[in-house]
Amino acid sequence: MARRKAAEVTLVEAINLALHHEMARDENVVVLGEDVGANGGVFRATVGLQEKFGPGRVIDTPLAELLISAMAIGMATQGLKPVAEIQFSGFMYSCLDQLANHAARLRHRTHGRITCPMVIRAPNGGGIHAPEHHSESVEAFFAHVPGLRVVVPSTPARAYGLLLAAIRDPDPVVFLEPARCYRLFREAVADDGIAAPLDTCFVEREGTDLTLISWGGMMHEVRIAADQLAADGVDAEVIDVATLKPLDTQTLVASVAKTGRCVIVEESPRAGGWASEIAAELAEHAMMNLFAPIARVSGYDTIMPLARTEARFIPDVGRILSAVRKTLEIAPLG
Amino acid sequence: MSISKWPEQRAKEDFERILDPQGEVCGDMPDIGSEALLHWHEAMVKTRMFEDMALRLQRRGVFSVVAGGPGEEAIGVGASAALQENDWLHPTYRQAGALMYWGFPIDRTFAAMLGHAPEHVRAALPLDPADLPKLRSTPFPVFLGANIPLAAGAALADKLNHRAQVSLAFIGDGATSEGDFHDGLGLAGALKVPLVVVIANNGWSISVPTSRQTAAETLAQKAVAHGIPHRRVDGNDVFAVYLATKAALDAARRGEGPCLIEAVTYRMRAHTSNDDAQTYRDDAELHYWAKRDPIGRFEKYIERRGLVDEAYRTAQRKRIEAELRAAVKRAQSVPPTPPDTMFLNRLTGDEGWQFRHQQAELEAELEGRNPFLDFDGGGLPEARS
Repeated sequence: MARRKAAEVTLVEAINLALHHEMARDENVVVLGEDVGANGGVFRATVGLQEKFGPGRVIDTPLAELLISAMAIGMATQGLKPVAEIQFSGFMYSCLDQLANHAARLRHRTHGRITCPMVIRAPNGGGIHAPEHHSESVEAFFAHVPGLRVVVPSTPARAYGLLLAAIRDPDPVVFLEPARCYRLFREAVADDGIAAPLDTCFVEREGTDLTLISWGGMMHEVRIAADQLAADGVDAEVIDVATLKPLDTQTLVASVAKTGRCVIVEESPRAGGWASEIAAELAEHAMMNLFAPIARVSGYDTIMPLARTEARFIPDVGRILSAVRKTLEIAPLG
Repeated sequence: MSISKWPEQRAKEDFERILDPQGEVCGDMPDIGSEALLHWHEAMVKTRMFEDMALRLQRRGVFSVVAGGPGEEAIGVGASAALQENDWLHPTYRQAGALMYWGFPIDRTFAAMLGHAPEHVRAALPLDPADLPKLRSTPFPVFLGANIPLAAGAALADKLNHRAQVSLAFIGDGATSEGDFHDGLGLAGALKVPLVVVIANNGWSISVPTSRQTAAETLAQKAVAHGIPHRRVDGNDVFAVYLATKAALDAARRGEGPCLIEAVTYRMRAHTSNDDAQTYRDDAELHYWAKRDPIGRFEKYIERRGLVDEAYRTAQRKRIEAELRAAVKRAQSVPPTPPDTMFLNRLTGDEGWQFRHQQAELEAELEGRNPFLDFDGGGLPEARS
């Protein structure tokens, strides 16, 4: 395919670009969900798709999240590649039933004869001053289930490439988009149809002193923190996990083995969050390389608070830097 | 594949109706006293003005999002007028009218819309217990389908405890697609639960018309499969809504079990202030439904009965406007929600070291101390019991 000129797009526009690309490339790709048609999705991720590909491939479903996840599974078993949208990740708990009991098990139950090439996408996380249930961070629920791939992009370019990869992947992918970053910044994205790898973390900044690990919406704060640390002479390595499951432990371990210090940042409540899984992996595989304990920076084990107080729940740059400072206090550089 | 664009939808008018869109009586008008009629009127007008004001303030950046139901006031007001003290109300965010009817505090509602934690609002805007609404209501839910099985369970508990109260639960047309709706109706029918379910069918689930939710001709008929009686009323006729709900609640009180009522109305505005309805629907529908406005027809009727006139209505609007402004002012006077409010009302009692430690971390952060000092096995001193 001819290389197209890269346009500056937001994360949600990159999602839209990827959907347009893949629907044009593969007629088996169908988009379904609530208000994805004429309305173009509540966050405008599916704008223009129904006009271009028709209501047979861009399907406004009845208002039922369990149905959406289940019908996508059914369609996927018959050769289609459904990309289902759930309007907010807080509405996905009823999908967990279908995804854990059916999507994740079909390949196993049929000895590999039936696969489930579907994607279920949803905006994830807070910081958008939304009412309750609209700001949840649900990635760990899905990452816990064997048989599901869980992907959380953090930039427009990565969202484009990872979504293409997710659609082309033969197995079910839970694709959680950081709602706060939908329009936070623009980035050049070439609509070249090149998928990003679904089996690696992205080391987006190399460093020697400390490893900062995060994904999704928190990557924005992590990048700012890394810049500030650089100004203070601390050379942080920054890793965007991107694909939470299966987890690329190797890249993470290699980085921490090199730096000896690690801070993991996530937005969700702490207990049972994915940072805990990563911390445990690092403790098991790189304990002897650590100069300081691994620190988790996260939300608290509370119900996600409402708009007025959510900024005190979601980790900010200050909280990340506090963790880094403590790590460096325990294990000074040099 | 052939899934065509939405057909123009116009809900069939084969429903119970007492007052027609012109304000003429076309059914058996119940004997409702003047005082009650004026209260219904007040509740409907106040609801509309409340929602108009909320939208104006949202446009000015005061609220981040509002979801109201102008044009749907007759359903919340008419149905909740049939409730008795101590009954349970399970509203959706389109039934502010039900709360207005029963006198729920508007300042607290505005404060909640500002994004304050409810515990904080309650403390900041105290209320004399004597002024508390006599009706019990669940908070506005986000998951409307869940209203039905939750209410069915609650009403079943009342039945098992031989309590006199009954429950009224609302749902929208869209949420009747959720399995929850059928789960709840199944239970309610099988165990004769004292529950009345009102579907506020406003024709639209954000951008999707009811005709794409189901091929069923009416939503009321969904009760048939569950062995539950059903009725279908003009949702813009407060008398029809009241009478059907009253009869159903009375039957539930007598132990005769649940009833499903479909109230046909129209969503005059976009789904919420974040939605733009012009991207998916035709203004012609709005003109059609504007002529069927619930307040307009009701006012014509009570004006004919000599209960209100232009002067009354002008004074009433002025009075309500002042009341709402005062409520907004009180809501805006609520100081910032203390961040540690997020730790309140989670589990009962002390949740232990891990939880206390997180509270202490937030406190440290707010005081400018580094919350990460926990690598020596001691933790923050505040967390120790």
